[in-house]
Amino acid sequence: MSLLDIRNVSKIYGELKALDNVSIRVDQGEWVAIMGPSGSGKSTMMNIIGCMDKPTKGQVFLDGIDIAKESSRRLTDIRRDKIGLIFQQFHMVNYLTAVENVMVSQYYHSMPDEAEALEALERVGVRERARHLPSQLSGGEQQRVCVARALINHPELILADEPTGNLDETNENIVLDLFRQLHREGTTLIVVTHDPEVAEAAQRTIVLEHGRLVREVVNEHFVE
Amino acid sequence: MSKRRMFFRMITASLLRRRSRMLIALLSIGIGATILAGLVTVYVDVPRQMAAQFRSYGANMLLVPSGSVLTQEEADDAMALIPEEERVGAAPYRYEYLNMVRRQQSFAAAGTDFDQVKRTSPYFKVNGRYPESPREVLVGKGVADTVGARLNGVMELTWFPPSTQEEDQGDADFDIRPGMTLAGHAQGYGSREGFNDNPVYVTFTVGGDGTIASISVDTSSETAGVGTRCSEEAFTDLFIGKKPKDLVLGRDVDAVSGATVTSAAVVQAIADARPVTDESAALVPRTINYAVVGILETGGEEEGYIYMSLDDMGVITGTSDQLDLVELSVSATQDSLERYAEEITASGHATARLVKRVTKSETAVLGKLQALVFLVTIVVLVLTMVSVSTTMMAVVTERRREIGLRKALGAPDSAIRGEFLGEGLFLGALGGLLGAVLGFVFAQVVSVNVFGSDIRFNFWLLPITVLVSMAVAALSCLMPVRRAVAIDPALVLKGE
Repeated sequence: MSLLDIRNVSKIYGELKALDNVSIRVDQGEWVAIMGPSGSGKSTMMNIIGCMDKPTKGQVFLDGIDIAKESSRRLTDIRRDKIGLIFQQFHMVNYLTAVENVMVSQYYHSMPDEAEALEALERVGVRERARHLPSQLSGGEQQRVCVARALINHPELILADEPTGNLDETNENIVLDLFRQLHREGTTLIVVTHDPEVAEAAQRTIVLEHGRLVREVVNEHFVE
Repeated sequence: MSKRRMFFRMITASLLRRRSRMLIALLSIGIGATILAGLVTVYVDVPRQMAAQFRSYGANMLLVPSGSVLTQEEADDAMALIPEEERVGAAPYRYEYLNMVRRQQSFAAAGTDFDQVKRTSPYFKVNGRYPESPREVLVGKGVADTVGARLNGVMELTWFPPSTQEEDQGDADFDIRPGMTLAGHAQGYGSREGFNDNPVYVTFTVGGDGTIASISVDTSSETAGVGTRCSEEAFTDLFIGKKPKDLVLGRDVDAVSGATVTSAAVVQAIADARPVTDESAALVPRTINYAVVGILETGGEEEGYIYMSLDDMGVITGTSDQLDLVELSVSATQDSLERYAEEITASGHATARLVKRVTKSETAVLGKLQALVFLVTIVVLVLTMVSVSTTMMAVVTERRREIGLRKALGAPDSAIRGEFLGEGLFLGALGGLLGAVLGFVFAQVVSVNVFGSDIRFNFWLLPITVLVSMAVAALSCLMPVRRAVAIDPALVLKGE
């Protein structure tokens, strides 16, 4: 069974069709990139998958639940329990240290556990920066903390929106390596990007244009 | 780590690591609380402050005798019914008529306690000073103008016993016995011709043989150089060795030439004389010279009086501990005053009356003033709350992105509200505490500058200020937080 099953989804803002009858399936453990130029509808797709928006038409099954039908309150619960989010602008609570930012995610999910949070930072390679505030971290370090925060609650799906958009090449590679690691461990990854290099790291690339699914490419060069 | 500990860790971090923002919020709440606490303190204390101020307009309660006289003890007992801290002053008064014999005029004189007068009648304007030593008087300007009394001059005053004694005469039979002192008086020339009301006084003692052993005659109301010669020894010695009964002028004693009327009055006074008992010992006229140490200007009826100490009044009249009136200055509200007056009258020590002219106008002015302060307090309070809310809202609105992030991380709206509420309550408590302390200082400054006296600190104002501050801060946090959590996290996070 697919972890994510998007069936004939449309999102309409007045005259504008942000998404027009799109269907996508993502299996458990799969790594999928969603590509497209700006205005292609990939952000809308990301918001819908991330339970932050609802489609105008169609069904979105996440782990068997049709999130198109759920209340926004329920969507918050689903997002918390099943999805780890990574943003282009990192988004950290600026007055909390790196480890505290990870713990915030635990706090809303279940129980804050500092040792576990430190372990997650260790894993993304910023353990020694745990007591630093976001303003004291580089962009790459911040994004790594955000990856740690996204995976801390062992989500079924990690949803990343332009995760390397604000990073240099070195840090981009570090983040992509982290994704490869997560993929090997069986985490389902959906990465929204306009960067072909980032897209090529995924197993499969879905290309959106003007709200329509125009192409689906299986990455031949995918390295396990 | 428990959820609660994480909750406090986040709030503490927010307050400590966002120091400048927190200080702005704290300052805003603190200033608001300061104004609240300060104005309410002033508002609450205004009646007390004003009551004290009003005391400069004079006494607002009078104690008068329930029976014929009021003793100092009765007055003290009556005053004990009023709380000591509310008694600004209590001036006792004893009124008598004193005469300036030479000018053939009599004036109302008051024996009093000048230290208390200064408190009950602070508006008295004394040219010179208040009497401090015995035989010093303060003369009303009206009296001074009439008799031409000058500051540092001397005033000769005479007290005459009340003439009502006459009615008692002849009632009692008595035998003249050796060693007895007798006193009598009769109408002389001055009083017969209507120059004054004062008779001729005679006091004599009886020797072992039943004749007059010594005699003194007071003719101070008679024509100087004529009738007054009857008090000279040349005339009075004529009576020595004579039986006091049935003396006849011209047979037993020759009249002073040219002063037949006065001479006859002396003989008549001896004939009418009654034994001097302890009680009546006082009832002999006395003349004392007083130093004028002050001239009193009030523009009112007080200018028609001569003031001396109660002791001096006791000396000249021979009797003490008789008060006609006590003027009380009480720093209390109209209601309290009425209650005290009722209690005092009911106690039977004295009859208390309120000076309605003073108390009524005080109450009216006080009511208006308090209404004004109340209005100002409310207006300032509302403005302060609006300003505090605006600041808090701005501080919270800045954190929209953080709220969006927390939502994206799966925070339910209630959790976000709880976190901001926690911060707001903490800031409110701290700001309220700060404000309560500063507010008292503020009220004190206002009080000293406006009323010239210390303010009374109301301890109940401390928890109220803190609670109000917490409520205002929490409400002003919650409003923007509610708006922020309603926003789609995706939109907040996408922005920028």
